[in-house]
Order: sequence, then C-alpha cells, then structure tokens
Amino acid sequence: MARRGSSWGWSRAGRRRWALTLLWLGHGVWALSGPRSGAAWSGFASVAARPAESAASAWRAWRLHRSERASNLEAAQGELAALRQQVQSLETARTVDAPKLADAEAAGQLLGLKEKLPLQAKAARVLLAPVGEPFGGLVLDAGADAGLVQDEGVIAPEGVVGRIWSVNATQSQVLPADAPNASIAVMLARSRATGVLQGLGSNQGEIRYLNNQEVVQPGEAVYTSGLDRVFPRGLLVGYVAEVRPGDLELQVKVALAAPLRRLPMVLILPPSSPLEAQAPLVPAQKNGGAP
Amino acid sequence: MKRVKSLRNPLQRTAAALAACLGLILLAPWPGAQAVLHAALVLGIALDPESALLTALWAAAGGWAVEGTLRLYPHYGGTPWADMSVALLAWWMIRDLPVGSFKGWLGRQALLGALWILAVHLAVRLAAGPHLWGWTWAWILLGLPFWGWLTWRWQRPGGR
Repeated sequence: MARRGSSWGWSRAGRRRWALTLLWLGHGVWALSGPRSGAAWSGFASVAARPAESAASAWRAWRLHRSERASNLEAAQGELAALRQQVQSLETARTVDAPKLADAEAAGQLLGLKEKLPLQAKAARVLLAPVGEPFGGLVLDAGADAGLVQDEGVIAPEGVVGRIWSVNATQSQVLPADAPNASIAVMLARSRATGVLQGLGSNQGEIRYLNNQEVVQPGEAVYTSGLDRVFPRGLLVGYVAEVRPGDLELQVKVALAAPLRRLPMVLILPPSSPLEAQAPLVPAQKNGGAP
Repeated sequence: MKRVKSLRNPLQRTAAALAACLGLILLAPWPGAQAVLHAALVLGIALDPESALLTALWAAAGGWAVEGTLRLYPHYGGTPWADMSVALLAWWMIRDLPVGSFKGWLGRQALLGALWILAVHLAVRLAAGPHLWGWTWAWILLGLPFWGWLTWRWQRPGGR
C-alpha cells in the first residue's frame, strides 16, 4: 500500500483531511450520544418552533372562523330570502282572501239574524254605499229577479238600515234610515213612547212627535214600533244621543245602530211584515230594557 | 500497487449519486428495493477514487436519506455513520487493492456488504437502540448479483 503525501496543514489536501475527519468524528459522536441528545435537540427545536406554530395555528383558526362566518351568513341570507318570499306570498293570499273573509263574517252574522227572525227574509249584497244621497243610497245586487218590491224593510245584524226605494231587474236602491226623506215608526225602550224617526244624515236621525212630558234619557234604546207596516215591532234602530225640550215636542236625536255606509250584506224583509218580531233580535242595550 | 483512476467525470458521479439519493427517498415504501439501492450507493456509486471526502459525503447523504424516510428511530445518525465508515473502507480498497475479475469483485462486495450490515446494526443500536430492519438486510445479500454487477460496471476496477 502506498502512502500519499500526508499534510495536515492548511493545504488543499490537509483541509480535505480535516473536513473528512471532522465529518466522520462528528457523525460518530452524534450517533454515540444516543437518544438523549436527540431529545434535547428536539426540545430545542420545539421551543424554537413555537412562535411559528402559534402563528400558523392562529392563522388557521382565523381562516376557519372566517369560512364558518361566511357560510353562516350565506345560510342566514338564504333563509331570510325564503322567509321574505313566504311572508310575501302569505300577505298576497291574505289580501286575496280578505274580501272573502269579510263576506263570510257578514254572511255568518246575517245567517244568525235570519235564524232568529221568524220571517222569510232575503239576503243581498251591498254593491255601492254612497254618502249623502238623499234619495236612495245603498245599491243592492238583488232586484225584481229576486222578488224584491218597493218599500220592503232592510235590516242588518246591527240594526235597521232603511227601506227599498226603487227596484229594477237585477238591482235595487235602498233609502237609508238617516236620509232626510226617510221615516220609520219607532218607540223608546223605557217609556214605550212612539214617534217617527226622520233622517238627519251622518248616521243620525230625530224622533218626531214626542210629547214634552215624556221622560227620555240619553243612551236609551230605540226600537221599531211596527206601526208603519214596513218593519215588525222590536227591531233595534239606534240609541238616544241627545234630548232637548222643544216648543211643542221633545227633540230627541238618535245615533243609528247600523253603520249604513259600511255594510257588506243586508236582509230584506217581506212586504207584509207582522206587527211583532220575536225577541231577542237585538244586542244588549246600553240603557233601558227590552221592548 | 496499481493506482486506480476514476473513469467517471465529476458530473457523472454527482448526477449518479444524486439520483441514487432521490431513489432512496422514492423507494421508501419498498424497504427491500431501498436496501439494495442503498448498498449500491454506499459500496459503489458513492465511491470516488479521487476524493475520500466526496465518498464520505455521498455515503452519509444516503444514510440520512434512508433514516429520514424510515422515521423509525428516536435518534438518527447511526446509519450515515456506518455508511461513511464502510464507504471509506471500500474507497481505500478500490483505490489501493483493485481486483481484476468480476468474481473477485463480487466476493469483495459480499464481504463488504456483510460488514456494512453489521456496521449499520451496531451503529443504529448505539445511536437509537435495536435496529428495525427485520429481514430487509437479507435483500442486500440476495440482491448482491444485481448491485454487485451494477457497481462493477460503474467503477470498472483495474482501469478497464
């Protein structure tokens, strides 16, 4: 075996020898140092890596939170849009059904009144209810085709409405009770005094031909007396709103019970109504007993 | 004695050693094939008759690549140290004790292979405890005709 010129000085070959020696010895020392030094290095590396790991963890958590928030927002927006659409469809359905519901409610009330009334009354729908018409205000959807004739009494569940003013083939007009040219035979609930109610407009009327000696109190109920042969006796007309003594007669102002301009349906009484209608036909009275 | 001069230029050696190291990493799922390539690197490809330092460096690189892909030990460094040591011995032999025949080369590679297996076991045991090769070492001996022929063709001892 030949020996090469060995120089451990600062020559090229010497540096290589030193590097090789250090490389081999370093590996040997490292391997022989065993797992303990490795654990120490691992611990050092773990400590050194903590800032980067915490930053990465925070970054990951932030991204996760952002994605969750975005997904939650998208879901909430979708749900909100669906709810809005549902609410809109419900409102549309309610708007469409509102007239039907009102009609059904009015029909129910009319049906109840019709069952209580011992008369062959006919039901009709109010097509038009103009305000301030002196001759014939309400327009009904029934006319001669339904057998209606002039001067038939018209009532509603709340009270007396008026009488048929004119009739044509398919429609008829009603003279409301508050018209100036309307008159209804009435009586007071407590004193039983009778008179004639004349319209004053604005859902009000005045009882004429009452003696100054009569005792009338505001709030007292006013019923039909049946003397006009249009309405049977005992139908509610309204309530006394104001009482003033006059020169010759008592001036009694009456607030009509039926809302004449807001009636969807009415009942038309037969032409020859009996004198007496069976009680009870009216709601509870404010003051005064039943007729 | 007759000195052996390398027939490969530095670029070829570097490319081959680098490819072998990459192959060690890629062959990690197949420990037998990885062990055969590892033996070819340590006892053949890494050997540079003109530089002991490069020989040691490439052998150590192979050892670190194997241990890094295995990730089995609590403390690394045993395999590269054994690789380096046996590679330096092989470097000295190929440089100062050349053989002229393939049979002679195979016999010497078998001897060096067995020595290398023992050295790796010893170094890993010293560094991290019992080696976890199992029967993988047998692949090195069984693959001797392959990696022995490969290193013979690569080194061409005797200047042929």
